[in-house]
Amino acid sequence: MANSNLPRRIIKETQRLLSEPAPGISASPSEDNMRYFNVMILGPTQSPYEGLGSWRSPSTSSCGVVETGGVFKLELFLPEEYPMAAPKVRFLTKIYHPNIDKLGRICLDILKDKWSPALQIRTVLLSIQALLSAPNPDDPLSENIAKHWKTKEAEAVETAKEWTRLYASGA
Amino acid sequence: MCFLFQKSYTVLKEEDILHRQEDDVTRVSTVLSITRVAASILLRHYNWSISKVHDAWFADEDAVRKSVGLLDKQVVQLSNARELTCGICFDTFPCDKIISAACGHPFCNTCWSGYISTTINDGPGCLMLRCPDPSCQAAVGQDMINLLAPGGDKDKYSRYLLRSYIEDNRKTKWCPAPGCEYAIDFAAGSGSFDVSCLCSHNFCWNCVEEAHRPVDCGTVTKWILKNSAESENMNWILANSKPCPKCKRPIEKNQGCMHMTCTPPCKFEFCWLCLGAWSDHGERTGGFYACNRYEAAKQEGAYDESERRREMAKNSLERYTHYYERWASNQSSRQKALADLHQMQTVHLEKLSDIHCTPESQLKFITEAWLQIVECRRVLKWTYAYGFYVHEHEQAKRQFFEYLQGEAESGLERLHQCAEKELQQFIAADGPSKEFDEFRTKLAGLTSVTKNYFENLVRALENGLADVDSHGACSKTTSSKNAVVSKGKGSKGKGGKIGGSSKNGDD
Repeated sequence: MANSNLPRRIIKETQRLLSEPAPGISASPSEDNMRYFNVMILGPTQSPYEGLGSWRSPSTSSCGVVETGGVFKLELFLPEEYPMAAPKVRFLTKIYHPNIDKLGRICLDILKDKWSPALQIRTVLLSIQALLSAPNPDDPLSENIAKHWKTKEAEAVETAKEWTRLYASGA
Repeated sequence: MCFLFQKSYTVLKEEDILHRQEDDVTRVSTVLSITRVAASILLRHYNWSISKVHDAWFADEDAVRKSVGLLDKQVVQLSNARELTCGICFDTFPCDKIISAACGHPFCNTCWSGYISTTINDGPGCLMLRCPDPSCQAAVGQDMINLLAPGGDKDKYSRYLLRSYIEDNRKTKWCPAPGCEYAIDFAAGSGSFDVSCLCSHNFCWNCVEEAHRPVDCGTVTKWILKNSAESENMNWILANSKPCPKCKRPIEKNQGCMHMTCTPPCKFEFCWLCLGAWSDHGERTGGFYACNRYEAAKQEGAYDESERRREMAKNSLERYTHYYERWASNQSSRQKALADLHQMQTVHLEKLSDIHCTPESQLKFITEAWLQIVECRRVLKWTYAYGFYVHEHEQAKRQFFEYLQGEAESGLERLHQCAEKELQQFIAADGPSKEFDEFRTKLAGLTSVTKNYFENLVRALENGLADVDSHGACSKTTSSKNAVVSKGKGSKGKGGKIGGSSKNGDD
């Protein structure tokens, strides 16, 4: 099985992710492939991706996910070259965000040319969480959403909230 | 090549480049009292300009150190621990197995090697390598590369460093000829942009296209763009269609006999072969399926296709075709001449030297003639791009230009003819002949005369034929064989300068 010769680094990272998760983030490896992680990120407060107070959060999610969140599912895969090459990350939950396209692909420098082997799964996920707090319509992946964001920000934020309610309920 | 400007450039071979690079690094390293590795990092950062490095360094050393990543003290205080954890694989190692850049961030040998190798294989960005720690700016120089990179990657890195020295430096460029590994160092502010590489490729320093005097870079760009946009169409049209002799629309003949009827409103009836009116055809010219007029004319060589084309160069497409064809045929003629020159140098000269008992050094006039032909073909080629863009309404200029071009054309033909055909008999000869000396005089004379004519032509065109005002039409001298060398006949007025003798003081 491929998992048997998993590098020490990946094992250590996984252990730490499980034992001391970052606030609002959970990541656990798949049972049949230790390089594939199921990730959940809680929409940051004060952002259009935060869950609305009126709902109860899913009790299924075990660690790190707190009561108030819009819950976004992602998948993360560590390629063979990891950590020399960046992990591959993608949103599974639909999200209205100028730097994330409809396939869930993310425009983030550290996932591309700014990747460094000293970065980790944890730092990547924290950066994605930060991207939710601070969308950057000047460097868009989704032209339409970015345009919307730049011309009618209030309206775009409303759409993002609507999508969060529709798709990120965690159900 | 044949122009008498002072050479304003130097051709650099690989060892010259390395040598210069070493010298520059040494200089910066000495002046700033820093290591050679640091000096190299600095120079690369400032595009290999020593003066920029000096200016920036002496203005604000700290700022430069910060932005380039030359730390003067460690940011990580190493503890006294015996073992350290590598920041990439998270394994612990004894201190002596841990390596750090100037910052002190600890990584193990294997991870460094992987990190460096990955970056080198990502491209020339590896020249700006920093410590793997994302918050750290410390530069990683060639010393660490040589220590840690796998063998092949070290070579790649050196390659990138060498390339950077040429490509990032404003005063140097690679010779654009395929496969050529020389670079050119060009001194700004000199008259001509023409550069002749040691590989024998001639190119324009400014736009890196092949040498194109007397035409300027802008015209060349326009012309090349036009060719790339239209040449496909043009080639097809040339190969597959003929223009209707009356209305000039291109016609593709895809079936049927030679009796053509143009589509309305033209409806002109003509013969596909000779393009003459069908009314002149009938039994006596060979009937419907052949054309005697065409066959007869072709045999006599009187069938002047090009004259016909010239007539037809009326609408813009045809006008362009006219210039493009001539541009392209001079181009291929030049390629052929280059091949002939090569053949001459590798085979014939030795043979000639044997037959005529002459040392090869005394046969240089033949090589020179061929070099001149190659150069003239190049100039002539570009005069067609020039001609295409000469203003339609500058009647006098156009006339004068076409006259000069025609003379150039026929002068070059004579030289080419002499170097190609007349030489044959001497190559085929059994032994020395008296005529060979006469031939030498003739060919050398033609070479020098043609050279002069073309140099003057280039200069005149570069001046935009400034001497011709739009009214002072120049009277045409009948084109005689001597016209090219004629001593600027008074009647030619302002044109005299061009046809002028070699004593015009152009050197």
